[in-house]
Parts: sequence; structure tokens; C-alpha cells
Amino acid sequence: MRNRLKSPRVFVPLGLLLLLGLYPLVPDSQYEQSVLITCLLFAIMASGWNLISGMAGYVSLGHSVYLGIGMYTGAIAATRWGWDPFYLAPLGALVAGVVALLIGLVVLRTRAHAFVIITIAVLLSFQLLSANLKQFTGGTEGLTLGAPGWPEEWGNTPYFYMFYAILLLTLALAAYLMSSRLGAGLVAIRNDEGKAASIGVNTTVYKTIANVLSALPFGAAGVIYGQYLSFVNPSGAFSILTSVYLVLAALVGGRGTLWGPVLGGFIVALANEGATVAAGGVSARVLIMGLVLVLTVMFLPAGLLPTLTGLMTRRRASRSTVKYIDQAAIARHDSHLDITSLISRGAGQRDTGTAVLEVRDVVKRFGGVRAVDGVSLTVERGSITGLIGPNGSGKTTLFNCLTGTVRPDKGTVLLDGEDVTSDKVWTRAHGGLGRTFQVTRLFRSMTVLDNLVAPLERTSARQMVAGRYSGEEVDRARDILGFMGLQDFEKQNAAALSFGQQKLVELAQVLMLRPSVVLLDEPASGINPTLIEKLTKVIRQLNEAGTTVLIVEHNIPLVLGLCDTVHVLAGGKILTSGTPDVIRNDPLVIEAYLGPDHLLEAPRG
Amino acid sequence: MSLRREVREVQIVQVLAYGILLGGMYALLASGVTLIFGVLDVVNVAQGAFLVMSALFTWQVWSVTGIEPLLLIPVNAALLFVIGWIIYRGMVARVAPQGPSMTVLLMFGIALVIEGTLNLVFGNKFKSVTPEYFTWSVKIGDIVLPVPQLISGVLAIAILGLIYVFLRVSWAGRAVRATAQNREGAALVGISHKTASALAFGIGAATAGAGGVLLSIMYPVYPATQYDWIARLLGIIVLGGLGSIPGAVAGSLLLGVMEAFAVTYVPQWSTLFFYGTILAILVFRPQGLMGSVTREDVV
Repeated sequence: MRNRLKSPRVFVPLGLLLLLGLYPLVPDSQYEQSVLITCLLFAIMASGWNLISGMAGYVSLGHSVYLGIGMYTGAIAATRWGWDPFYLAPLGALVAGVVALLIGLVVLRTRAHAFVIITIAVLLSFQLLSANLKQFTGGTEGLTLGAPGWPEEWGNTPYFYMFYAILLLTLALAAYLMSSRLGAGLVAIRNDEGKAASIGVNTTVYKTIANVLSALPFGAAGVIYGQYLSFVNPSGAFSILTSVYLVLAALVGGRGTLWGPVLGGFIVALANEGATVAAGGVSARVLIMGLVLVLTVMFLPAGLLPTLTGLMTRRRASRSTVKYIDQAAIARHDSHLDITSLISRGAGQRDTGTAVLEVRDVVKRFGGVRAVDGVSLTVERGSITGLIGPNGSGKTTLFNCLTGTVRPDKGTVLLDGEDVTSDKVWTRAHGGLGRTFQVTRLFRSMTVLDNLVAPLERTSARQMVAGRYSGEEVDRARDILGFMGLQDFEKQNAAALSFGQQKLVELAQVLMLRPSVVLLDEPASGINPTLIEKLTKVIRQLNEAGTTVLIVEHNIPLVLGLCDTVHVLAGGKILTSGTPDVIRNDPLVIEAYLGPDHLLEAPRG
Repeated sequence: MSLRREVREVQIVQVLAYGILLGGMYALLASGVTLIFGVLDVVNVAQGAFLVMSALFTWQVWSVTGIEPLLLIPVNAALLFVIGWIIYRGMVARVAPQGPSMTVLLMFGIALVIEGTLNLVFGNKFKSVTPEYFTWSVKIGDIVLPVPQLISGVLAIAILGLIYVFLRVSWAGRAVRATAQNREGAALVGISHKTASALAFGIGAATAGAGGVLLSIMYPVYPATQYDWIARLLGIIVLGGLGSIPGAVAGSLLLGVMEAFAVTYVPQWSTLFFYGTILAILVFRPQGLMGSVTREDVV
């Protein structure tokens, strides 16, 4: 902690923020204070929005709905029981959180687009709701609030400190979230949601939690803001313009960062104040904010803070020495680490000869095409099983039925004897099914180590609140990297690796799940022969350590050399199954791949 | 008693007919949004602003020259097509590589720029185009329909039909559909995805151009009404399934009819009813009525 405080990235913004806390001591600063209050409010909202839209990448255009909910909660409670921020602010946060939970449960089960759209509808719905529920909200006239109940000479200073306190709490929440596993999971979702699910991240739960957390600061700030304005009405509380401001603030400052939204909040609030003084009316402000939004998206998409720190690190990086890492060294690397303890579930090895994965009569149609047409097969525990077949034979569709990205129209999938046909992707990952992708899908903006600590063996609260690099996982991640010969890459960004290296990292990532069966989708495609050799060795070692492997591959010599059993798929059906020797000489297989006239020369003994 | 039941039945048929006409209008506009989404993966939140821009332009021309507003349908459609094309080539195509979350913000910014500009030009007041048939109504059997609604609904459905035929029959239309299904595949058979995308964007915007004229003879319009339209149109396409034109049509008709009933029987709650229906359907079918869960192993 002490070391971290020495970094200028931490102490500069923190120091500035603490200095800001002293501002009300400046005499005769009522106007400046009211401007700063708006700055604080924007910073709070942008930081809150950042938790769902910046970290998880789910853009909300209606997030000011939670501010309005806080404002109305505060105003309605205040007209009944009197205004007291100490219990009303938490109440506002609670109500906003509950609404965010309900909305999240409905909308966040699908992918990004529906969410952004529904957020606008939700904001307008609440505007209408507050106008229509006259007995609570006073309809379009709104509610007027009395004096705050402190000596008049204090002016707005108490409001200043209330917003200040909420901002500090929001930043503490954001900083904690960013260092936690939950945060790592959210960034993983932003990078590649389908991939995140495949390594055990329960994306629905993660996104919903992020949505609720992001609503809390809005709810609390809304309670204070309503009293500060001393008036709450539908169009003011649920204003789409407020949403624009806060989105703009987070974007200008740098979404996904801790301090970016704060910086952006101050910039946008000050610019808005300037626009009001200079140009006046709402129309001009809509136009100006629209222009700024368009320009920011087009020319400064990452935001100020990341762009600036990017420039700084680039300068620094050019001065530091870059360590050259040689591919061949990875390939030659032999680890003496005991891989069994790193990847086995610890329950002891189960009997070989039983099925770890079983498919019964699976059918999957796409329109009129029966991509998988009644396939049954078993993957024996402890085996290396191959699945081959010409292009379009249904391999990938079958693969997707196994992992859960596609639900079969008919048939069942059993994992360790349990029916998982209707289980989610992440539930299967928790159940011991790991997969890699033909074209690697690492989280490109994350480091190799972050990629390895992102997988989750189960969804648990303790896992989520734990620090990113805490617990035995990080040691295990380093050991697995060591086993693969990748220990020097831990701090590299995944995007910086070669394709072959990415394939190894992706396999390492899947091993973090302690899978009982690993599905490899064309592991050897697109990588050089040295790395193929390395990969083959790793697969053998994993298998010796008790992991079952199912490989889909076009590299026939590799499959026949590695596998115990091979299934051949053609036209959506199993053509034949057997040992490599049987497959090699089966005329049906040769015909399926090459057609009847393939024999250019006589087959050799 | 039987007379009362008859009256009620007539009223239901009347509301139903009204709802279908309204649904036709929604279908035209929502198809534009869903077409853009299907081809480009861009959520066009500026459709409401395009629509209001076209309606206010109609009002301006009509109030100066007094010509029949419906004659402006091809003019406004062409105008918005060009604007859409330019916005795509100049802005959206540049931002698109950064993903849908950035393009949605871009479109939102564009919507605000249009709204702000319209505010400055036309002022923040309701404008309506009132040709002489504005107050007419026709009686078909027992039901009575206002002429502007009838014209708008029928024309909207006709224009939508034309677009559908264009997409089905013409080479350009097939290029657009091919790009929507598989961009790389389309590129391999010689379709420039930039041109196809610009075409889709232009057609999407043109539906708002045509729709704006129809809107102007139905309702009074002012710049900030764009928000009602974005929320409504986007709601419809979420409901229908993102990217699916049949889904958008089904969603439009469903919500048009529901809204017509709500306006008749629970007027103050009608808009909420609309959003409530969308949320309720999403609870049971997160991918929308005709949306599908797409395969994503191939990137």
C-alpha cells in the first residue's frame, strides 16, 4: 500500500481530491461552491456509470433514472418524516439498487444491444410513472421541499460535503471493484462475453451485480440533489440530458479507469456552466453537448486519461529494455512441476473406462440443414479422443452442443453422468468441462496473468470479493504458466503474443478450471511445427495427469498419432469409430475426405 | 342488451383497425432501424431525430408553398437517404471498428445535434401539417377511421412492401442481405461491404424520411418528441428480435394494436403499457419474438 501511494498515478489525483475538500474554507465562495457541487455530482454519476458501462462494457443511456429515483425517494420520505441525509441517502441508494436489480434481471440475460435500448425506455417510463402517480409524486407539478434544517449562514457547504463524501465512497467502491475478481470478470465480459462464460464466469450474475452497484451512488446522490434543488418534478428528475452529461463525462475522462470519470465529470460540468453563461438556453446546450459527444467518440474514443497515460508509458517503455523471448526456448522448455496437483480436482482419480462425456442421439438443425443428425458417442475417462471429418460435417456444431453455446433440438449431453443438456455454458465449466477455440479468444486488453486468474471453478460470493491476485489461484496460475514454459510472459498483454503463444495461454487458462475433460478445437491450426510438437507433448502430459481430452483437428497425422479412439463425422452422422489403425485403413473415411477417385497412386503397405 | 354488445364489438373492431394502421407506421420506421442493425451492428438511436427532421421539413415546405404534403414522401426519402449515406461514410464507418457501444454513443450524439439544430431553427413549439383532409374521416361498414391515419397507415405498409421487394429482388438488395448474414462471405463474392452498408444505412434513414411526412399529417411534432420515437422504435425491435424485419413488423403490429386499446380504455397509462409489454415479453423471451441466438464460435 505504501509503495502504491508513491506512484504519481495514485497520489496526484488523491492529493487533488483532498485539496478540493478544503475549498469551502475559501471565504465568499458561494458561486464557486455551487459550480463545484455540480462537478461533484457529475463525477459521482460518471463514476457510478463506469462500473457497468465502463468495466463491463454495457452502455446505459438512461442511467440518470437512478438519480431520479433517489430524488423522489428522498422527497417523498422527507414530506412524510422530515429530511435527514443520514438515513435517507442510504434509503435512496437501496431503492435505486432494488430497481436496478429488477431491470438487470429482465434485460441483462441477453447481450449488449437490448440493454442500451431498454435503458432509454426505462428512463422515459419512470418519467411517465412519476407524472401519473399523483398521490405520491404530485404529478407534473412535482414536490417542493422545505429548508434543509441547518443555520442559514452555512449556505450550501453541507451539500458540498455530502456530495464529497458520496464521491469518496463511490471511488472507494470502484477502486475495490477494480482490484477484485468480480472486476476481473467484468472486464473479461467487456472483452469477450462468450469466452468469459466458457471459463466459468456466470455473466448474468456478474452484470446484474455491476448494474446494482452502479445504481447505488446515483440513489444516494439523488436524495441530496433533490433537497439541494428543493424541488423535484418528472422532467427534471428523469432527464435524458442528465444521462447525456454523465455518459459524456465518463467518455471524455476515460471509461474503465478509476479517475477518468472524475476528471470528465469536472470538465463536463465546467463546460456546461460555461455554455449556460455564454449561450443560455437548453437548445444551444443540447446542440453543443451533441457536438462534443460526436467529436469525442470520433477523435478521442479512449478518453483523456488513458490517452495521456498511454503517451507517458510509451515514452517510458522506449527507454526500458525489452526482454527478447525466443520461441524455441518455449518449445524446448521442460517443466518438472507436478502438474497433477495443479489441475486435478483432488477428489482422486475416478475409474478409467467410464464415460466422462456422453452424447445421445443429438440433433441440431439450422433451418433445413441437419448439421448434427442423431449423433451418439462417448468420451472415455482418461482417453484422448479425436473427432475428425471433412469440412461441414458438423464437428463444430457438435462441439457447441457439448459446451452449451448451442442447444440441441433433440438428444441429451451427459457430463460425468449428469444430464447437462439445458445447463448454461458456465455451469458446464464449473462441472469440469473446459474448451479452447480454433481462433484464440483471450481477453486481449488483459495481461496473461489476469487471463489466468479470471476463470472460476464456481460462482461464489467469496470468490467475487477476493482480490484479483489473492489466494492459491495466483500461485497455481504461475505454476501452470511455468509448466507451459510461459513464465516470462505473465505481465504481457494477451494481444501482444503470437498466435501460437496465445493457443498455449488459452490452454493454460482452461486448466485453471481443473477440468475433467478438455475440448480442443483445432489446436494445431495456424501454428508452427515446433509449437505443434510442444503442444502435443503438453497434451500427453495432461492426459497422463488424468485429464481427458477431446480433439477436433484437421491435422490427421497429429490426431492419429495422439488419440486412443477416433470418431469420424460425415454429413452430421458418425461414419465410423475406432482406434487410429482402424480409421487409417477404413475406405469409408478415405472416401469421405477425398472422394472416390482419390487414388493417384497405389496405396503403400 | 344485444345492441350494447354490438356497439362494444364495433368499438373493438374500430380500435383494432386503428391499431393496425398505427402498427403499419411503426413497422415502416422500425424496419429501418432493424435493417441498419442487421447489416451494420449499429443501434441507430438517431432514427427518431431523422423522423422529426423530416416531419418539420414537411411542415416548412407545406406552410410556405401549401402543396400537398404527401408529394414530399419521395423527396424526403431521397434527402434522408443521402444524409444517411453521408453519415455512414463520414462517421459511422470510422467508429464502427470500435464496436457497437461506441457507435451507439455516436448516433446518440448525432441525434442531439439534430435536435439542437431543429430547436434553434423551428423553435420549441408543436407544429402540425393540416391539409384539408386533416379532419376528414371515412366510414367503412360500421367503423369510422380518420383519413390522415388511414392514409399514413396504408402508405407506410405500401412503402415497406416496396422496400421488401427491393431487398428480395434487386441485386443491390441481395447484396445488403448477404452482407447482413456474412460480411466476409459477401466480400469474397465481390460485394463491397462499405457500399452495402452505406446502402442499408441510407435505406434505414429513408424510412424515417418517408415516415416523417406521414407523421406530420397525423400528429403535431416538435424536436424533443424524438425521444418518444427512439424509445418506441427501439422497444419494438428489441421485442421483435434485433435484426429481424419480420420480427419488427410483428412487434409493430402487436404494439400498435395494444397501444390503440390502451389509448381507448386507459389513456393516461398507454405509453407505460407499451413499455410494460416489452419488458414482460423479454422476461419470457430474452432474444425477442423472432430473434435467434447467434453462433459465435467463428469470429
